[in-house]
Amino acid sequence: MRQNLITFVDKKRQMLPLLAAIILFIFAYTIGAVYLPGLRDTQTFLNLFNQTPYLLVAVIGETLVVLSGGIDLSVGGIVALVATASAALIRIGWNPWAVILLMLAIGTAMGAIMGYCITYLKVQPFIATLAGMWIGRGLAYTISNESVAINDRTYELLSRIKILIPGLSDVVTQRGAYITISVVVAMTLFAMVIYITHFTRFGRTIYAMGGNNGANEQSARLMGLPVDRTKVLVYTFNGFCSALAGILLSIYTGSGHGMYGSALELTVIAAVVIGGTALTGGEGYVFGAVFGVLITILIQTMILIQGTLISWWTLIMIGVITLFFIGVQAFFSNLKIGQASGDKASRAKRYRQMLSYGGGALAVVVLSLLAINLLSKPDTTTADCELKPFRRDQAASLIKDGAVITYERNGGRNCIDELYAVYPDGRITGDNGVQQIEKQVTPEEVEQLLSFINELGWYTDTMYSTSHLPCGVCYQYFTTVVYQGQEKTVEAVNGGTDAPAEYWVVTGRFLTFLPEFTP
Amino acid sequence: MRQSKPSFSFNWRKTAESKLFFPIVALALILLFDLIIIPNFFRISFQQGHLYGNLIDILRNSTPVIALSIGMTLVIATGGVDLSVGAIMAIVSSVAALMMNPFVLGTQLQGIVNDPTYSYSPFWLVLVVPVIVATICGLWNGLLVSYGKIQPMVATLILMISGRGIALLITNSQRIVIVYEPFTYIGQGWLILPFSLYIVAALFALTWLITRRTSIGLFIESVGVNARSSLFSGIDEKKIKLFAYAFCGFCAGIAGLIGTSYISTSDATNVGLNLELDTILAVVIGGTLLGTGGRFSLMGSVIGALVMQAVSTSMYAIGVSANSLLAVKGVVVILIILLYSQQVQDFIRKITGQTRLKETKS
Repeated sequence: MRQNLITFVDKKRQMLPLLAAIILFIFAYTIGAVYLPGLRDTQTFLNLFNQTPYLLVAVIGETLVVLSGGIDLSVGGIVALVATASAALIRIGWNPWAVILLMLAIGTAMGAIMGYCITYLKVQPFIATLAGMWIGRGLAYTISNESVAINDRTYELLSRIKILIPGLSDVVTQRGAYITISVVVAMTLFAMVIYITHFTRFGRTIYAMGGNNGANEQSARLMGLPVDRTKVLVYTFNGFCSALAGILLSIYTGSGHGMYGSALELTVIAAVVIGGTALTGGEGYVFGAVFGVLITILIQTMILIQGTLISWWTLIMIGVITLFFIGVQAFFSNLKIGQASGDKASRAKRYRQMLSYGGGALAVVVLSLLAINLLSKPDTTTADCELKPFRRDQAASLIKDGAVITYERNGGRNCIDELYAVYPDGRITGDNGVQQIEKQVTPEEVEQLLSFINELGWYTDTMYSTSHLPCGVCYQYFTTVVYQGQEKTVEAVNGGTDAPAEYWVVTGRFLTFLPEFTP
Repeated sequence: MRQSKPSFSFNWRKTAESKLFFPIVALALILLFDLIIIPNFFRISFQQGHLYGNLIDILRNSTPVIALSIGMTLVIATGGVDLSVGAIMAIVSSVAALMMNPFVLGTQLQGIVNDPTYSYSPFWLVLVVPVIVATICGLWNGLLVSYGKIQPMVATLILMISGRGIALLITNSQRIVIVYEPFTYIGQGWLILPFSLYIVAALFALTWLITRRTSIGLFIESVGVNARSSLFSGIDEKKIKLFAYAFCGFCAGIAGLIGTSYISTSDATNVGLNLELDTILAVVIGGTLLGTGGRFSLMGSVIGALVMQAVSTSMYAIGVSANSLLAVKGVVVILIILLYSQQVQDFIRKITGQTRLKETKS
């Protein structure tokens, strides 16, 4: 039995880091779903994909570079440059499709130049791509120091169109589980790259080049493989992927800024490692990339839903998990060395050594999980509060009484439940279940607000309801507006991106308009 | 091969092959650019017992990078790299601020926080503890690299990712303003020249003594050139690597103290941001080979750090914004690294060789 296990481990050794990633993801999701009810929602699961097609695309490109034995730090810089430049070009009236093509060309060209420097001028990959990162980010800031919004119909459509999942959604009301177009783009690329790496000469050359501290590159060269060409192509392809990631990010955020993708290269490299690719190159699977990304995002989502932890825990957790996976990789590469050299006694010794490394890494993970639990204990005020359902009936009766706007906000850190009503004569009432407040403004101001909301497209398709279980610190909103004989209610949850941007403009306006409860 | 004959004229070839030749050429090129483009760039004035001027600014602003690059030189010479120095600086910043002013933890203070003479812990502890913490961080990196046999870039990446998170945790993700005068003197004080300059000068002297007056420097170079053969010749490769990383952590600790004192705040998100990249480039410009290791030059790294800072200062002087500066820096880095490439080196050797040939003929 033991012998069988060892034979299996030896044969499938390369698969094991990938398996570890898959198991960790399933394990973490199960644990998360048990403790955090927010994770059980189907849409929350799909949002793991919806939020980060750009990360997946960047990780796919980086995986190829790492497999070939190099490293590329320029991802974040190119993403920032592409996002800002495309936003700026669209603002001056370019055709969005032309912009997208141009941006892909720029990213590809930057990758090609870096690949050329690395391959033919023998510049260290680290330094050449570092310069690429600086140039990209610097140019992005040169284009604009501030965030540039994209107001373009095509971009809007690309970010808004929902591809509903059959069986989990209702086509008529457009509600239910969905993915976005960006996810489809990322997944198509993913499938293509898996094909390229495993079924083409180019892919096999990449595997042949990587690993063994550059010695394999020499062997590949001696075997007559086109090492130089492949190297340039790999960096070129990663430039293309970074540019595509930048476009997906600008579609997702609807804007461009030089700050976008800061420290993205770290997240990307960590995701590559978590996905089971050895940073020495030559070993790993592009397939693992998706799990590297999923685990990274899952940590982020869990920390967001959990609500009491500061977002910096994400980075710490990613660091710890990266350490764990590096431990796993070291374990298996040592296993290989143990095989090559030796008698039974030294092998047994090595196995013991590796087990202690692996156990140590696991212990670190468990301890840090415990530490998180202990640290989050003192702040229990948020954990006990309970999300209340919308007071739909009360809102309806307020409208019947002549209110033109009802606005309900509940959830959040302290599970507030506030219901406001605005009347055409300028009277504003607020009720949070405990106290009632009132404020008086002029009727003109109310009229102004109503026409403002109308101009934003409240009664058009621009505004649509999105509603699912909010995360721990997020609010959910229920707003009804009556204007010129029209009445429409829009529900939304913040923390995600599903609600239309105009909706947040409206709620932002409310914040300055409505009275405040005294805590 | 052509026999080289003793020559009485200035030996171009020897100069061109010296480790310091290219860093000095790079620095000279940038200063030449300043001389032509920026009026009064070289003016130094003497006010209230201090020296002022752009050149002094370059020296003063480059002190954290110089301190970092001294430690980084040793790490790169062993064939490794340390990406975590910026994150270590952030941790140092948080620890130091917390020791002077632990109110974020809910501690009752016996004095007034805004009093520039008040500190919760004695001054020497405020200096020593953060540096020890930084050295421990370096030791952790060293353990992963030497005993864990993990690639240096990956091993230090872990601390680079999580270090800033840890730094924010230490201060409960708050910025602590530092008003304690002896501490602010480290980065803001002047003794004719900026005080931080004396600190890095002392650090440089200490490192020079350790590496050039004992055999440690030789061991480090030997490990970098060939770890395996040095093991066979009786050098404990693991301990040497451990020492290099721990020393790099120590240097990051000092750089962290200077950086924190310079801005009088514990700002874990910004202290030492991107400095690891500046530092690695400074060392590479200084002529120590990234990736392969081997021969190193401390003086070269210091000049490399000055080159990086001179680029920034001159760009600020001609009105390039701080954010766009990155692009200029990227271009300069590419140019300098191309200057180092084999093709250009061969070309220069050819030119200088021919110059000498002509001289000897005539």
